[in-house]
Amino acid sequence: MADPAIKTEKLTKHYGDVKALVDLDLSIEPGEIFGFLGPNGAGKTTMIRTILDLIRPSSGRAWILGLDTHEQSVEIRRHIGYVPGDLALYPSLTGRDTLTYFANLRGGVDWDYVDELAGRLDADLSKKVGDLSSGNRQKVGLIQAFMNRPRVLIMDEPSSGLDPLVQREFQAMMREVAAEGRTVFLSSHTLSEVQRVADRVGIIRHGVLIAVEGVASLRSKAIRTVSLFFEGPVESSVFEAIPGVRDVVVEDHHVTMSFDGQMEMLLKAATERHHLVDIATDEADLEEIFLTYYRDGAG
Amino acid sequence: MLASVLTKTIRDRWLGYVIGGGTLALLLLMGMAVYQDIDISFYNELPDAYRSLVGIPENADIGGLAYGAIYASYGALTLAGLGISAGSAAVAREERFGTLGILLGNPRSRTHIVASKAASMVLLTTLGAGILWGGGLLAPMVLGVDVGGVDVGALVIHMFFNTLFYGFLAMAIGAWTGKTVLASGATVAVMVVSFIAAGLLPLVSGYEDVARAFPWYYFQSGEPIINGVSWADMVVLGAGIAVFAGVALVGVNRRDLRNQAVGVTLIDRLRANPMTRNVFDRLAGSTRVSRVWVKTASEQQGLLVVTAGVMLSMGLLIGPMYSLLDEPLIDLADQFPETMLALFGGGDMSTPEGFYQVETYGLMAPIAVMVATIAIGARALAGEEAAHTMDLLLTNPIRRSVVVLEKAAALVLHGAAVGVGIFIGVALGATLGGLDMSVSNIAATSTLAPLIGILFGALALAVSAATGRIKAAVWIPAGLALVFHVMNALLSINAGIAGWAKLSPFYYYLGSDPLLNGMPWGHAALLVALSAGLIAGSVVLFERRDVRQTG
Repeated sequence: MADPAIKTEKLTKHYGDVKALVDLDLSIEPGEIFGFLGPNGAGKTTMIRTILDLIRPSSGRAWILGLDTHEQSVEIRRHIGYVPGDLALYPSLTGRDTLTYFANLRGGVDWDYVDELAGRLDADLSKKVGDLSSGNRQKVGLIQAFMNRPRVLIMDEPSSGLDPLVQREFQAMMREVAAEGRTVFLSSHTLSEVQRVADRVGIIRHGVLIAVEGVASLRSKAIRTVSLFFEGPVESSVFEAIPGVRDVVVEDHHVTMSFDGQMEMLLKAATERHHLVDIATDEADLEEIFLTYYRDGAG
Repeated sequence: MLASVLTKTIRDRWLGYVIGGGTLALLLLMGMAVYQDIDISFYNELPDAYRSLVGIPENADIGGLAYGAIYASYGALTLAGLGISAGSAAVAREERFGTLGILLGNPRSRTHIVASKAASMVLLTTLGAGILWGGGLLAPMVLGVDVGGVDVGALVIHMFFNTLFYGFLAMAIGAWTGKTVLASGATVAVMVVSFIAAGLLPLVSGYEDVARAFPWYYFQSGEPIINGVSWADMVVLGAGIAVFAGVALVGVNRRDLRNQAVGVTLIDRLRANPMTRNVFDRLAGSTRVSRVWVKTASEQQGLLVVTAGVMLSMGLLIGPMYSLLDEPLIDLADQFPETMLALFGGGDMSTPEGFYQVETYGLMAPIAVMVATIAIGARALAGEEAAHTMDLLLTNPIRRSVVVLEKAAALVLHGAAVGVGIFIGVALGATLGGLDMSVSNIAATSTLAPLIGILFGALALAVSAATGRIKAAVWIPAGLALVFHVMNALLSINAGIAGWAKLSPFYYYLGSDPLLNGMPWGHAALLVALSAGLIAGSVVLFERRDVRQTG
């Protein structure tokens, strides 16, 4: 069996008393798109920078493609593409100069492929990076990560600043990478993005990996927030009886709740005796999912 | 007034002023202690050119000598340098980091912000001047030296106005253009040229009044140490300060703020032009990014052009200047006491070699090389960390050691380029002045200058590698260079303790009088070995630590 694309064993990083990463055990297989979810400051970036040998673990070890991340870091870097979380490039270089620089450090690149990527992402490589908007700068960052057809792509919040059309193209690019048997490690704090592309998801909080789940089972836990607007005042008791409803808050004509039951039942109750004006549903944010995990004792 | 902008600026910068002022006060103490032990009668025979350049008034005693030597030259240059650093950053640096836009997102006008920055600069300069004043009063008390008749307060007041003059000039250029490097580079050039011109022009008959065109003249010509504050001169400097403040206000209000510091350079225009596109695309594009060291070397090219250009033109001017000097100065040749030769890494002012040593090689050449090398050394690693580009660079298949070594190569290259500028300037200047100087000795000395500069650049690289902090990597080597330079100059005068001067790297720069005696290969090898050691240390230090994400 092939080596895992990424494997960590009790990976730990302390900054003084602050535990940024605690005993992280993870194994990601080749060809997988792995979503790494957590709120800001959870330790996502620390984990990524540790396996890239930018910072060194306080204890524990990690391997990429079976190579030790510290001892064989240069060899590893021949096979990875990386998009940092707060992508910064050299402002006085053009996009093409920037890509040339990284290509030179890697011993060359297939420029036809670069142009294809630039076309797909609608990136302008002739302008100086400093003159680009953050979204357009992000495209240059994505191209440099994809352009060498790396076996493992490690990306920290890669779609920040991208408009929805480009995000969709980017997601297609990630799927193609996985279809070729290559691996994508995608860190994000937005559940929806990860759900769209990932096969499995790891959830990290306060430096601790609290769950690794398939996307399908995660979705089943995904409660959503439902807001109902009525013509007249309503009472919370109308909704509290419905299975799957939690945390009902009534403010005059407006009701909000967390809901993971059958929508039909909710709508029936809402329209039976009242006049429903509008309805809005929001995907539950991560914090709520974490709460679910804690509540369910999965943490 | 934006009190928060004011206090933040002061919080960011006060330490530099405290360290700078404190170091100078300590050096003053050291200088006085050394002068106390030696016969300073030689000093009465100093040629005017030397005295006026280093700011020592006529008929001064130990106090006047020490204040003049330490405060009026090093002190005034250091304090003005801090002012230029604060002034050039005031608007342009905030603009570059995009923080000016955030400031202006608050209900405050650009004028408010410039006013706050100006106020912070005045307060910081007051702090620095205050420390110098306190140190100046304390030193003679500690040593029990009588400095009656010396007015250190007047000197400090002159330094205060002088510093603000250059600080506000830098702020005006930065506010008008939004370019930090241009602001600091151009102002330093103005300061250096005027420092030299104000010292020398009064000695050339027929050119005495031309000196008035140079601002440094108003700082020192009144000889405040003896004569007290020359308010007429301060009015001139004050008027300059007011004009620059006005220019800064108008400048920042009139134009579009820059988003990021990406200017359109000449090379960009040449790249855009179809006629020249091919050549310059290769030069500015593919060549520049071919290797880490080429890219690093290309980044500080503006600074390199300024430093090498200033040194080249200075070398070029000093030769003809020497030949214009009055005859009596030359006649003083034989009367020079031995101790004179060592002072300020200086030489016998009556010979062309000695003149060049004092005017070009003694102080200016190492400073110019260090500006270039410390800029690269400090920014090489810490700069990429502060800009957050280091993570991306290091995830390419390239060893950290290779990154450090290539950055070091760029540093050496820039130091060498300034050295070439010095050599061409001095060699041409000597020819223009019809001076009989050995070209090979000029070459030897112009090689030693980059070697001493590269040493402190390598120290900056090592601090950068160890800490990842730009400020530490700039100020630690700059401060140590100042201490070592003065230590070498002062210790060499006193025969009893001259041996200790060998602890200063500067001893291995001019200690053997290379302009007269040629290349001291042993000394050169020692400087190279020290630099190599620091670079090797940088590799080890950078390999070991976590890459920072902030400066």
